[in-house]
Amino acid sequence: MFANFDVSVIASSLPYLFGQGMVFTLTLTALAASGGIVFGTALAMMRLSGIPGVTHAAKIYVETMRSLPLVLVIFWFYFLVPYIGAWATGSATPIQVGAFASALVTFTLFEAAYFAEIMRAGIQSIPKGQTAAASALGMSYAQTMRLVVLPQALRNMLPLLLTQTIVLFQDTSLVYVLSLTDFMGAASKVAQRDGRLVEMYLFAALVYFAVCFTASWLVRRLQTRVAIIR
Amino acid sequence: MTSTPMPAPAAATPTAPTSEAPADAGLRAGPLVTPPPATATAGPMIAIEAVSKWYGEFKVLTDCTTRVARGEVVVVCGPSGSGKSTLIKCVNALEPFQEGQITVDGTRVKDRGTNLPKLRARVGMVFQHFELFPHLSITDNLTIAQRKVLGRPGEDARKRGLDLLERVGLSAHAKKYPGQLSGGQQQRVAIARALAMNPVVMLFDEPTSALDPEMVGEVLDVMVGLARDGMTMMVVTHEMGFARKVADRVIFMDRGEIVEDATKEAFFGQPRSERAQQFLSKILAH
Repeated sequence: MFANFDVSVIASSLPYLFGQGMVFTLTLTALAASGGIVFGTALAMMRLSGIPGVTHAAKIYVETMRSLPLVLVIFWFYFLVPYIGAWATGSATPIQVGAFASALVTFTLFEAAYFAEIMRAGIQSIPKGQTAAASALGMSYAQTMRLVVLPQALRNMLPLLLTQTIVLFQDTSLVYVLSLTDFMGAASKVAQRDGRLVEMYLFAALVYFAVCFTASWLVRRLQTRVAIIR
Repeated sequence: MTSTPMPAPAAATPTAPTSEAPADAGLRAGPLVTPPPATATAGPMIAIEAVSKWYGEFKVLTDCTTRVARGEVVVVCGPSGSGKSTLIKCVNALEPFQEGQITVDGTRVKDRGTNLPKLRARVGMVFQHFELFPHLSITDNLTIAQRKVLGRPGEDARKRGLDLLERVGLSAHAKKYPGQLSGGQQQRVAIARALAMNPVVMLFDEPTSALDPEMVGEVLDVMVGLARDGMTMMVVTHEMGFARKVADRVIFMDRGEIVEDATKEAFFGQPRSERAQQFLSKILAH
Protein backbone atom coordinates (compact mmCIF):
# COMPACT_ATOMS: atom_id res chain seq x y z
CA MET A 1 0.00 0.00 0.00
CA PHE A 2 2.79 2.37 0.87
CA ALA A 3 5.11 0.88 -1.75
CA ASN A 4 4.35 3.49 -4.37
CA PHE A 5 3.60 6.34 -1.99
CA ASP A 6 3.82 9.50 -4.08
CA VAL A 7 4.59 12.69 -2.23
CA SER A 8 4.79 14.74 -5.41
CA VAL A 9 1.01 14.65 -5.90
CA ILE A 10 0.63 16.42 -2.55
CA ALA A 11 3.30 18.97 -3.37
CA SER A 12 1.83 19.81 -6.75
CA SER A 13 -1.70 20.25 -5.37
CA LEU A 14 -0.74 22.44 -2.39
CA PRO A 15 -1.79 25.76 -4.00
CA TYR A 16 -5.21 24.30 -4.81
CA LEU A 17 -5.64 22.61 -1.41
CA PHE A 18 -4.78 25.71 0.61
CA GLY A 19 -5.49 28.57 -1.80
CA GLN A 20 -9.03 27.36 -2.42
CA GLY A 21 -9.92 24.60 0.01
CA MET A 22 -8.43 25.91 3.24
CA VAL A 23 -9.44 29.51 2.53
CA PHE A 24 -13.02 28.33 2.09
CA THR A 25 -12.91 26.24 5.28
CA LEU A 26 -11.48 29.08 7.36
CA THR A 27 -13.90 31.63 5.93
CA LEU A 28 -16.89 29.45 6.67
CA THR A 29 -15.58 28.67 10.19
CA ALA A 30 -14.91 32.32 11.04
CA LEU A 31 -18.23 33.63 9.71
CA ALA A 32 -20.32 30.84 11.21
CA ALA A 33 -18.56 31.12 14.59
CA SER A 34 -19.03 34.91 14.75
CA GLY A 35 -22.67 34.69 13.71
CA GLY A 36 -23.22 31.70 15.98
CA ILE A 37 -21.79 33.47 19.04
CA VAL A 38 -23.91 36.59 18.44
CA PHE A 39 -27.11 34.63 17.80
CA GLY A 40 -26.23 32.14 20.54
CA THR A 41 -25.79 34.96 23.07
CA ALA A 42 -29.18 36.33 22.09
CA LEU A 43 -30.69 32.84 22.53
CA ALA A 44 -29.02 32.49 25.94
CA MET A 45 -30.42 35.85 27.05
CA MET A 46 -33.86 34.85 25.76
CA ARG A 47 -33.65 31.58 27.65
CA LEU A 48 -32.68 33.39 30.86
CA SER A 49 -35.16 36.24 30.38
CA GLY A 50 -37.82 34.60 32.55
CA ILE A 51 -40.52 35.76 30.12
CA PRO A 52 -42.53 32.52 29.64
CA GLY A 53 -43.06 32.60 25.85
CA VAL A 54 -39.56 33.84 25.06
CA THR A 55 -37.80 31.40 27.38
CA HIS A 56 -39.79 28.53 25.93
CA ALA A 57 -39.16 29.46 22.31
CA ALA A 58 -35.40 29.65 22.91
CA LYS A 59 -35.45 26.35 24.77
CA ILE A 60 -37.31 24.55 22.00
CA TYR A 61 -34.96 25.96 19.37
CA VAL A 62 -31.82 24.91 21.25
CA GLU A 63 -33.12 21.44 22.11
CA THR A 64 -34.27 20.80 18.55
CA MET A 65 -30.97 21.80 16.96
CA ARG A 66 -29.02 19.77 19.46
CA SER A 67 -31.13 16.70 18.76
CA LEU A 68 -30.61 16.66 14.99
CA PRO A 69 -27.59 15.39 13.07
CA LEU A 70 -25.74 18.28 11.42
CA VAL A 71 -25.67 16.65 8.01
CA LEU A 72 -29.45 16.38 8.06
CA VAL A 73 -29.82 20.06 8.92
CA ILE A 74 -27.45 20.96 6.06
CA PHE A 75 -29.58 19.00 3.59
CA TRP A 76 -32.79 20.27 5.01
CA PHE A 77 -31.77 23.90 4.69
CA TYR A 78 -30.28 23.45 1.25
CA PHE A 79 -33.46 22.02 -0.19
CA LEU A 80 -36.00 23.88 1.90
CA VAL A 81 -34.66 27.44 2.17
CA PRO A 82 -35.33 28.21 -1.54
CA TYR A 83 -38.97 27.24 -1.03
CA ILE A 84 -39.29 29.14 2.24
CA GLY A 85 -37.74 32.15 0.49
CA ALA A 86 -40.23 31.83 -2.34
CA TRP A 87 -43.09 31.56 0.10
CA ALA A 88 -41.87 34.56 2.11
CA THR A 89 -41.41 36.79 -0.92
CA GLY A 90 -44.43 35.49 -2.78
CA SER A 91 -42.30 34.37 -5.70
CA ALA A 92 -43.55 31.64 -7.99
CA THR A 93 -40.18 29.91 -8.36
CA PRO A 94 -37.80 28.83 -5.58
CA ILE A 95 -35.28 31.51 -4.56
CA GLN A 96 -31.74 30.49 -5.43
CA VAL A 97 -29.54 31.24 -2.41
CA GLY A 98 -26.47 29.29 -3.51
CA ALA A 99 -24.67 26.51 -1.73
CA PHE A 100 -22.29 28.76 0.20
CA ALA A 101 -25.01 31.05 1.59
CA SER A 102 -27.08 28.01 2.48
CA ALA A 103 -24.14 26.35 4.25
CA LEU A 104 -23.27 29.55 6.12
CA VAL A 105 -26.83 30.02 7.36
CA THR A 106 -27.03 26.38 8.40
CA PHE A 107 -23.78 26.38 10.34
CA THR A 108 -24.62 29.70 12.01
CA LEU A 109 -28.05 28.53 13.14
CA PHE A 110 -26.83 25.09 14.15
CA GLU A 111 -23.77 26.24 16.08
CA ALA A 112 -25.79 29.01 17.76
CA ALA A 113 -27.60 26.31 19.72
CA TYR A 114 -24.30 25.04 21.12
CA PHE A 115 -22.87 28.52 21.70
CA ALA A 116 -26.15 29.45 23.45
CA GLU A 117 -25.66 26.75 26.06
CA ILE A 118 -22.07 27.87 26.67
CA MET A 119 -23.14 31.51 27.02
CA ARG A 120 -26.03 30.54 29.27
CA ALA A 121 -23.61 28.87 31.66
CA GLY A 122 -21.32 31.88 31.37
CA ILE A 123 -24.05 34.38 32.20
CA GLN A 124 -25.26 32.26 35.11
CA SER A 125 -21.72 32.11 36.49
CA ILE A 126 -21.73 35.88 37.11
CA PRO A 127 -22.75 36.56 40.74
CA LYS A 128 -26.14 38.23 41.26
CA GLY A 129 -24.40 41.00 43.19
CA GLN A 130 -22.78 42.21 39.97
CA THR A 131 -26.15 42.86 38.35
CA ALA A 132 -27.40 44.46 41.56
CA ALA A 133 -24.38 46.78 41.65
CA ALA A 134 -24.88 47.74 38.00
CA SER A 135 -28.58 48.41 38.59
CA ALA A 136 -27.79 50.41 41.72
CA LEU A 137 -25.55 52.66 39.61
CA GLY A 138 -28.51 53.41 37.37
CA MET A 139 -27.68 51.10 34.46
CA SER A 140 -30.56 49.80 32.37
CA TYR A 141 -30.97 46.06 31.78
CA ALA A 142 -29.30 46.40 28.38
CA GLN A 143 -26.37 48.37 29.82
CA THR A 144 -25.97 45.89 32.68
CA MET A 145 -25.75 43.05 30.18
CA ARG A 146 -23.49 44.84 27.69
CA LEU A 147 -21.10 46.53 30.12
CA VAL A 148 -20.99 44.21 33.13
CA VAL A 149 -22.38 40.71 32.61
CA LEU A 150 -21.47 39.76 29.01
CA PRO A 151 -17.85 40.97 29.10
CA GLN A 152 -17.25 38.80 32.16
CA ALA A 153 -19.25 35.87 30.80
CA LEU A 154 -17.39 35.98 27.48
CA ARG A 155 -14.05 36.05 29.23
CA ASN A 156 -14.98 33.15 31.50
CA MET A 157 -16.30 31.16 28.55
CA LEU A 158 -13.65 32.05 25.96
CA PRO A 159 -11.86 28.69 26.21
CA LEU A 160 -15.13 26.79 25.71
CA LEU A 161 -16.22 29.05 22.85
CA LEU A 162 -12.91 28.52 21.08
CA THR A 163 -13.02 24.78 21.66
CA GLN A 164 -16.49 24.71 20.12
CA THR A 165 -15.08 26.71 17.19
CA ILE A 166 -12.42 24.03 16.69
CA VAL A 167 -15.20 21.44 16.52
CA LEU A 168 -16.95 23.67 14.01
CA PHE A 169 -13.75 23.83 11.94
CA GLN A 170 -13.83 20.03 11.66
CA ASP A 171 -17.57 19.93 11.01
CA THR A 172 -17.32 22.25 8.03
CA SER A 173 -15.98 19.26 6.08
CA LEU A 174 -19.61 18.12 5.90
CA VAL A 175 -20.26 20.70 3.19
CA TYR A 176 -19.06 18.03 0.77
CA VAL A 177 -22.70 16.91 0.66
CA LEU A 178 -23.47 20.19 -1.11
CA SER A 179 -20.51 19.64 -3.49
CA LEU A 180 -18.72 22.66 -2.06
CA THR A 181 -14.94 22.65 -2.24
CA ASP A 182 -13.62 23.09 1.26
CA PHE A 183 -10.21 21.73 2.29
CA MET A 184 -11.54 18.20 2.61
CA GLY A 185 -13.43 18.52 -0.65
CA ALA A 186 -10.35 19.79 -2.47
CA ALA A 187 -8.24 16.90 -1.16
CA SER A 188 -10.97 14.50 -2.18
CA LYS A 189 -11.17 15.87 -5.71
CA VAL A 190 -7.42 15.53 -6.25
CA ALA A 191 -7.52 12.04 -4.78
CA GLN A 192 -10.24 10.91 -7.17
CA ARG A 193 -8.69 12.60 -10.20
CA ASP A 194 -5.20 11.17 -9.72
CA GLY A 195 -6.18 7.95 -8.02
CA ARG A 196 -4.06 8.92 -5.01
CA LEU A 197 -6.55 8.23 -2.22
CA VAL A 198 -4.05 7.11 0.42
CA GLU A 199 -1.73 10.09 0.00
CA MET A 200 -4.44 12.73 -0.10
CA TYR A 201 -6.59 11.44 2.76
CA LEU A 202 -3.55 10.91 4.95
CA PHE A 203 -2.35 14.39 4.21
CA ALA A 204 -5.80 15.88 4.90
CA ALA A 205 -5.97 14.07 8.23
CA LEU A 206 -2.51 15.32 9.11
CA VAL A 207 -3.45 18.93 8.34
CA TYR A 208 -6.70 18.79 10.34
CA PHE A 209 -4.83 17.24 13.23
CA ALA A 210 -2.04 19.82 13.13
CA VAL A 211 -4.45 22.77 13.00
CA CYS A 212 -6.75 21.51 15.76
CA PHE A 213 -3.95 20.34 18.02
CA THR A 214 -2.14 23.67 17.76
CA ALA A 215 -5.36 25.62 18.27
CA SER A 216 -6.24 23.59 21.39
CA TRP A 217 -2.80 24.21 22.78
CA LEU A 218 -3.15 27.93 22.16
CA VAL A 219 -6.56 27.94 23.85
CA ARG A 220 -5.05 26.36 26.96
CA ARG A 221 -2.33 28.99 27.05
CA LEU A 222 -4.84 31.77 26.49
CA GLN A 223 -7.04 30.46 29.29
CA THR A 224 -4.47 31.32 31.94
CA ARG A 225 -3.94 34.78 30.47
CA VAL A 226 -7.53 36.02 30.19
CA ALA A 227 -8.73 34.64 33.51
CA ILE A 228 -10.18 37.43 35.66
CA ILE A 229 -8.53 37.84 39.03
CA ARG A 230 -11.18 37.64 41.71
CA MET B 1 -45.02 50.76 68.02
CA THR B 2 -42.35 52.37 70.10
CA SER B 3 -41.13 54.86 67.55
CA THR B 4 -40.09 58.22 68.83
CA PRO B 5 -40.88 61.41 66.97
CA MET B 6 -38.54 62.54 64.24
CA PRO B 7 -35.67 64.75 65.34
CA ALA B 8 -34.95 67.86 63.34
CA PRO B 9 -32.57 67.15 60.46
CA ALA B 10 -28.96 67.86 61.17
CA ALA B 11 -27.88 71.07 59.49
CA ALA B 12 -25.66 70.24 56.51
CA THR B 13 -22.24 71.79 56.84
CA PRO B 14 -21.75 74.29 54.06
CA THR B 15 -18.85 73.09 51.98
CA ALA B 16 -17.10 74.04 48.80
CA PRO B 17 -18.04 72.08 45.69
CA THR B 18 -15.52 69.34 45.06
CA SER B 19 -15.88 68.43 41.43
CA GLU B 20 -14.76 71.82 40.14
CA ALA B 21 -11.88 72.15 42.61
CA PRO B 22 -8.47 72.37 40.96
CA ALA B 23 -6.68 69.07 41.08
CA ASP B 24 -3.86 70.32 43.29
CA ALA B 25 -5.55 72.62 45.78
CA GLY B 26 -5.62 71.05 49.24
CA LEU B 27 -7.62 67.99 48.24
CA ARG B 28 -6.99 66.10 51.45
CA ALA B 29 -8.67 68.77 53.51
CA GLY B 30 -11.69 68.96 51.22
CA PRO B 31 -15.00 67.31 51.91
CA LEU B 32 -16.03 64.00 50.36
CA VAL B 33 -19.43 65.24 49.39
CA THR B 34 -20.80 67.95 47.22
CA PRO B 35 -23.83 69.00 49.23
CA PRO B 36 -26.92 68.68 47.10
CA PRO B 37 -28.47 71.99 46.13
CA ALA B 38 -31.53 72.87 48.15
CA THR B 39 -34.41 71.31 46.27
CA ALA B 40 -37.95 72.52 45.99
CA THR B 41 -39.25 69.48 47.84
CA ALA B 42 -38.47 70.19 51.46
CA GLY B 43 -39.82 66.83 52.71
CA PRO B 44 -37.70 63.99 54.05
CA MET B 45 -35.03 62.41 51.82
CA ILE B 46 -36.50 58.95 52.33
CA ALA B 47 -40.02 58.21 53.51
CA ILE B 48 -40.86 54.55 54.08
CA GLU B 49 -44.57 54.10 54.64
CA ALA B 50 -46.22 50.86 55.77
CA VAL B 51 -43.98 48.65 53.63
CA SER B 52 -44.69 44.92 53.68
CA LYS B 53 -42.98 42.28 51.61
CA TRP B 54 -43.42 38.56 51.12
CA TYR B 55 -41.22 35.87 49.63
CA GLY B 56 -44.02 33.58 48.58
CA GLU B 57 -45.81 32.70 51.79
CA PHE B 58 -43.09 34.03 54.02
CA LYS B 59 -43.49 37.60 55.22
CA VAL B 60 -40.08 39.28 55.40
CA LEU B 61 -41.18 42.86 56.12
CA THR B 62 -44.20 43.83 58.17
CA ASP B 63 -45.66 47.31 58.04
CA CYS B 64 -42.31 49.16 58.17
CA THR B 65 -42.58 52.92 58.53
CA THR B 66 -39.76 55.40 59.03
CA ARG B 67 -38.21 58.53 57.61
CA VAL B 68 -34.71 59.76 56.88
CA ALA B 69 -34.38 63.53 56.88
CA ARG B 70 -31.95 65.43 54.67
CA GLY B 71 -28.43 65.28 56.08
CA GLU B 72 -29.44 62.67 58.62
CA VAL B 73 -27.46 59.50 59.38
CA VAL B 74 -29.66 56.55 60.30
CA VAL B 75 -28.21 53.23 61.43
CA VAL B 76 -30.34 50.11 60.97
CA CYS B 77 -29.41 47.20 63.20
CA GLY B 78 -30.90 43.94 64.35
CA PRO B 79 -30.23 40.20 64.41
CA SER B 80 -29.51 38.42 61.14
CA GLY B 81 -32.62 37.57 59.21
CA SER B 82 -34.48 40.52 60.69
CA GLY B 83 -35.07 42.05 57.25
CA LYS B 84 -32.77 45.06 57.55
CA SER B 85 -30.88 44.36 54.30
CA THR B 86 -34.15 43.67 52.53
CA LEU B 87 -35.59 46.96 53.75
CA ILE B 88 -32.62 49.01 52.55
CA LYS B 89 -32.75 47.27 49.15
CA CYS B 90 -36.40 48.26 48.84
CA VAL B 91 -35.35 51.91 49.00
CA ASN B 92 -33.74 51.79 45.54
CA ALA B 93 -36.08 49.04 44.34
CA LEU B 94 -33.43 46.37 44.06
CA GLU B 95 -36.03 44.35 45.96
CA PRO B 96 -39.68 44.76 45.04
CA PHE B 97 -42.27 45.08 47.79
CA GLN B 98 -45.95 44.29 47.66
CA GLU B 99 -47.51 46.81 50.05
CA GLY B 100 -46.81 50.35 51.12
CA GLN B 101 -44.79 53.08 49.47
CA ILE B 102 -41.28 54.48 49.60
CA THR B 103 -40.52 58.01 48.48
CA VAL B 104 -36.94 59.04 47.75
CA ASP B 105 -36.34 62.78 47.34
CA GLY B 106 -39.92 63.25 46.20
CA THR B 107 -39.94 60.30 43.77
CA ARG B 108 -42.23 57.36 44.49
CA VAL B 109 -40.33 54.08 44.16
CA LYS B 110 -43.39 51.89 43.55
CA ASP B 111 -45.07 53.75 40.77
CA ARG B 112 -45.56 52.64 37.18
CA GLY B 113 -44.35 55.98 35.86
CA THR B 114 -41.10 56.00 37.84
CA ASN B 115 -37.93 55.62 35.81
CA LEU B 116 -36.08 53.26 38.15
CA PRO B 117 -32.62 53.50 36.54
CA LYS B 118 -32.87 57.29 36.80
CA LEU B 119 -33.88 57.08 40.46
CA ARG B 120 -31.13 54.57 41.28
CA ALA B 121 -28.51 56.78 39.64
CA ARG B 122 -29.22 59.36 42.36
CA VAL B 123 -29.05 56.85 45.21
CA GLY B 124 -25.58 55.54 46.03
CA MET B 125 -25.35 51.98 47.30
CA VAL B 126 -22.47 50.11 48.92
CA PHE B 127 -22.72 46.33 49.17
CA GLN B 128 -21.48 43.79 51.67
CA HIS B 129 -19.31 42.09 49.03
CA PHE B 130 -18.12 45.33 47.35
CA GLU B 131 -19.25 44.22 43.88
CA LEU B 132 -16.61 46.12 41.97
CA PHE B 133 -16.53 45.02 38.33
CA PRO B 134 -13.59 42.60 38.21
CA HIS B 135 -12.99 42.95 34.46
CA LEU B 136 -12.47 46.72 34.69
CA SER B 137 -9.58 48.70 36.12
CA ILE B 138 -10.20 50.81 39.23
CA THR B 139 -10.39 53.94 37.05
CA ASP B 140 -12.94 52.32 34.74
CA ASN B 141 -14.94 51.10 37.72
CA LEU B 142 -15.14 54.71 38.89
CA THR B 143 -16.04 56.19 35.52
CA ILE B 144 -18.19 53.67 33.66
CA ALA B 145 -21.53 54.65 35.19
CA GLN B 146 -20.69 58.36 35.08
CA ARG B 147 -20.10 58.08 31.35
CA LYS B 148 -22.78 55.59 30.37
CA VAL B 149 -25.54 56.58 32.77
CA LEU B 150 -24.99 60.30 33.37
CA GLY B 151 -23.42 60.91 29.96
CA ARG B 152 -20.47 62.80 31.42
CA PRO B 153 -17.58 63.42 29.04
CA GLY B 154 -14.74 60.95 29.60
CA GLU B 155 -12.28 63.54 30.88
CA ASP B 156 -14.72 64.97 33.45
CA ALA B 157 -15.66 61.48 34.65
CA ARG B 158 -12.01 60.55 34.98
CA LYS B 159 -11.20 63.69 36.91
CA ARG B 160 -14.11 63.15 39.30
CA GLY B 161 -13.22 59.48 39.71
CA LEU B 162 -9.55 60.07 40.43
CA ASP B 163 -10.43 62.97 42.73
CA LEU B 164 -12.63 60.68 44.83
CA LEU B 165 -10.05 57.91 44.71
CA GLU B 166 -7.61 60.34 46.28
CA ARG B 167 -10.14 61.18 49.01
CA VAL B 168 -10.37 57.54 49.98
CA GLY B 169 -6.57 57.40 49.93
CA LEU B 170 -6.08 55.02 47.01
CA SER B 171 -4.63 57.18 44.21
CA ALA B 172 -1.73 54.81 43.77
CA HIS B 173 -4.07 52.00 42.71
CA ALA B 174 -5.91 53.71 39.82
CA LYS B 175 -4.51 51.38 37.16
CA LYS B 176 -4.94 48.15 39.14
CA TYR B 177 -7.82 45.70 38.96
CA PRO B 178 -10.20 44.99 41.87
CA GLY B 179 -8.73 41.51 42.42
CA GLN B 180 -5.35 43.09 43.21
CA LEU B 181 -6.71 45.10 46.14
CA SER B 182 -7.50 44.04 49.71
CA GLY B 183 -11.11 43.86 50.87
CA GLY B 184 -10.88 47.15 52.72
CA GLN B 185 -9.39 48.87 49.70
CA GLN B 186 -12.07 47.43 47.41
CA GLN B 187 -14.80 48.68 49.70
CA ARG B 188 -13.29 52.18 49.74
CA VAL B 189 -13.23 52.12 45.93
CA ALA B 190 -16.86 50.99 45.97
CA ILE B 191 -17.77 53.98 48.15
CA ALA B 192 -15.90 56.30 45.77
CA ARG B 193 -17.69 54.69 42.81
CA ALA B 194 -21.07 55.42 44.37
CA LEU B 195 -20.06 59.00 45.29
CA ALA B 196 -18.88 59.65 41.74
CA MET B 197 -22.52 59.72 40.67
CA ASN B 198 -23.22 62.71 43.00
CA PRO B 199 -25.91 60.82 44.90
CA VAL B 200 -28.39 62.66 47.11
CA VAL B 201 -28.36 59.79 49.60
CA MET B 202 -26.06 56.85 50.33
CA LEU B 203 -27.25 53.38 51.34
CA PHE B 204 -24.83 50.98 53.01
CA ASP B 205 -25.71 47.29 53.25
CA GLU B 206 -23.42 45.79 55.91
CA PRO B 207 -20.36 47.45 54.38
CA THR B 208 -17.87 46.01 56.85
CA SER B 209 -19.23 42.56 57.65
CA ALA B 210 -17.30 40.78 54.88
CA LEU B 211 -14.01 42.39 55.87
CA ASP B 212 -11.12 41.08 57.91
CA PRO B 213 -11.16 42.79 61.31
CA GLU B 214 -8.06 44.87 60.64
CA MET B 215 -9.69 46.44 57.57
CA VAL B 216 -12.93 47.54 59.19
CA GLY B 217 -11.43 50.75 60.55
CA GLU B 218 -10.28 52.17 57.21
CA VAL B 219 -13.76 51.75 55.72
CA LEU B 220 -15.52 53.18 58.76
CA ASP B 221 -13.18 56.19 58.67
CA VAL B 222 -14.34 57.01 55.15
CA MET B 223 -17.97 56.64 56.22
CA VAL B 224 -17.49 58.85 59.26
CA GLY B 225 -15.93 61.51 57.00
CA LEU B 226 -18.90 61.23 54.70
CA ALA B 227 -21.38 61.63 57.56
CA ARG B 228 -19.53 64.65 58.90
CA ASP B 229 -19.68 66.25 55.45
CA GLY B 230 -23.44 66.19 55.68
CA MET B 231 -24.30 63.23 53.44
CA THR B 232 -27.70 61.65 54.05
CA MET B 233 -26.99 58.05 54.94
CA MET B 234 -28.91 54.90 55.75
CA VAL B 235 -26.52 52.28 57.10
CA VAL B 236 -27.21 48.64 57.90
CA THR B 237 -24.42 47.64 60.25
CA HIS B 238 -23.46 45.87 63.45
CA GLU B 239 -20.76 48.46 64.15
CA MET B 240 -22.22 50.13 67.21
CA GLY B 241 -19.08 52.26 67.58
CA PHE B 242 -19.93 53.83 64.24
CA ALA B 243 -23.52 54.35 65.34
CA ARG B 244 -22.43 56.05 68.55
CA LYS B 245 -20.02 58.29 66.69
CA VAL B 246 -22.10 59.65 63.81
CA ALA B 247 -25.66 58.31 63.82
CA ASP B 248 -28.53 60.69 64.43
CA ARG B 249 -31.01 57.88 64.80
CA VAL B 250 -30.94 54.13 65.27
CA ILE B 251 -33.57 51.77 63.92
CA PHE B 252 -33.76 48.31 65.48
CA MET B 253 -35.43 45.56 63.46
CA ASP B 254 -36.49 42.08 64.42
CA ARG B 255 -38.46 39.51 62.42
CA GLY B 256 -39.28 41.96 59.66
CA GLU B 257 -40.61 44.67 61.96
CA ILE B 258 -39.20 48.01 63.00
CA VAL B 259 -39.21 47.45 66.75
CA GLU B 260 -37.46 50.60 67.80
CA ASP B 261 -36.85 53.90 66.01
CA ALA B 262 -35.10 56.30 68.36
CA THR B 263 -32.46 58.96 68.61
CA LYS B 264 -28.98 57.63 69.22
CA GLU B 265 -29.02 58.89 72.81
CA ALA B 266 -32.36 57.28 73.57
CA PHE B 267 -31.42 54.01 71.90
CA PHE B 268 -28.10 53.50 73.66
CA GLY B 269 -29.26 55.13 76.90
CA GLN B 270 -32.38 53.16 77.49
CA PRO B 271 -33.84 51.03 74.68
CA ARG B 272 -37.51 50.60 75.38
CA SER B 273 -38.17 47.22 73.88
CA GLU B 274 -36.95 44.06 75.50
CA ARG B 275 -35.74 42.65 72.18
CA ALA B 276 -33.52 45.69 71.58
CA GLN B 277 -32.16 45.44 75.13
CA GLN B 278 -31.27 41.80 74.59
CA PHE B 279 -29.66 42.55 71.23
CA LEU B 280 -27.58 45.38 72.66
CA SER B 281 -26.43 43.38 75.66
CA LYS B 282 -25.33 40.59 73.33
CA ILE B 283 -23.34 42.66 70.88
CA LEU B 284 -21.91 45.08 73.43
CA ALA B 285 -20.91 42.30 75.84
CA HIS B 286 -17.54 41.72 74.14
